[in-house]
Amino acid sequence: MGSDLRRIGRRSIGPIVAPFAELETGLAIAVEDDAGDLIAGAAGAIDLDAGSEATHDIIVSRRRAGRVVARGPGAGTALARATVASLAAAIAAVAEASSDADRLIGQELALGRRLQRSFVSLVAPDVPGFEIASHYEAAREIGGDFFDLFRRRTRRRPLSIVIADVTGKGIAAALMMAFVRPLLHAAIDHTRGPVEALERTNRILVGERRSALFITVLCIELDVRTGQLTMANGGHEPPLLVPAGGQAPRALEGSGTLLGAFDRVDAPECTAVLEPGDVLVCYTDGVTDAKAIDGQRFGDDRLLAAIESGRAGGAHGIAGAIRSAVDTFQSDMEPADDVTFVVVGRLP
Amino acid sequence: MALETTAENVEGRVPITILALDGEVDASNFASIIDEVGALYRAGTRHLLIDLTNVRFLASSGLVALHSAVRIMHGDAPPDPESGWEALHSLDRDTAGGVRQSEVRLCGAQPAVERVLVRTGLTQLFEIHPDRTSAIAAF
Repeated sequence: MGSDLRRIGRRSIGPIVAPFAELETGLAIAVEDDAGDLIAGAAGAIDLDAGSEATHDIIVSRRRAGRVVARGPGAGTALARATVASLAAAIAAVAEASSDADRLIGQELALGRRLQRSFVSLVAPDVPGFEIASHYEAAREIGGDFFDLFRRRTRRRPLSIVIADVTGKGIAAALMMAFVRPLLHAAIDHTRGPVEALERTNRILVGERRSALFITVLCIELDVRTGQLTMANGGHEPPLLVPAGGQAPRALEGSGTLLGAFDRVDAPECTAVLEPGDVLVCYTDGVTDAKAIDGQRFGDDRLLAAIESGRAGGAHGIAGAIRSAVDTFQSDMEPADDVTFVVVGRLP
Repeated sequence: MALETTAENVEGRVPITILALDGEVDASNFASIIDEVGALYRAGTRHLLIDLTNVRFLASSGLVALHSAVRIMHGDAPPDPESGWEALHSLDRDTAGGVRQSEVRLCGAQPAVERVLVRTGLTQLFEIHPDRTSAIAAF
């Protein structure tokens, strides 16, 4: 609770104490936190050893957060004792109000996280012959990851797979995500393919000149009859194709620029085929950048190892393996970035 | 794990400030780089070399800092990534024709960092030099 006082210290406690800090009666009044460190007021302004001391504890949320202390020749008087008592009460009231405000902000953030979840954790479309697994875990501070899975309304009803990461953190990133997700969805629905969808979305982002944030986006169209993948990558981690035959996963390279930074994305159109038994793994950098308590990053090698350990179980096996590997790696650390991945497998 | 920055001035063909970053650039500290570049600009820096030799990790938010550095050296107001909605993209018009800006250069990018710069297309914005000497000569 001492940190409560430190946090609000100079801004709020200082002005309360200042008029009393050096009374002409020969009192020096100081505020200490529960560790005895000075928060505000005058320590050592006068000879502290001279005279007596009057103290009063500061109680915040029924716990001792620190104390007000008056030292000096006049500290033994009733006036000094009354002064430290009323100062302690005033500071406690300020600290209570401040922690109430923090609680409110915390509630707002929690609401924001729930709202954000509603954007990403939609039920995956049912695609016969394929299995889809996804995972999204919000960072402690709201991040800007999202994914989108839907059937296009064109003739063959291909499956659209979108995964994206808004750079930066917090409310701005979350708002940006909420702005871009439907934009991309509409662009995909109204263009001929992923390359054009990214280009159109970028044109709106740059044209609107709305944000200092960028977005990396992976946009894939899957022909569910043939397994044909058509992909455009705007600066995102390349997806990994895990072959049915047990060979090492292959990154589907080829990328344009991230969205929102340049006039053109210039993403090349990349194609591949998801053969029966193959699995496609799309992820955000929150996976590979996940941090352990010793500062190490999860990295590509651990991701590949997790995929290896889960591949016998298909898309769901791989998703589960990545999830538990990242969880174990981060152990008790709260994730600093959103952890998001989408795994699509073609059934054998 | 933390990020440390040091700035020093050198004389090339023009006066150059070298901003050396040491550590990991991520969402927790990229804004401090923007602040630092803003302070350098106000102190008179117009040519900036960002030395990435000791950057072990560059998250995507670090790209916002690099992009912002260019804008600041362009004389634009430093963007506020927290506000998120106010940025200008005049800079991108300038680079749209394939002409890279020359106020901010990078050097010493390690493979992991260079990979991020290449993947996200930021190499369109920056000349990346292997070391300080070649970067200084290029200004």
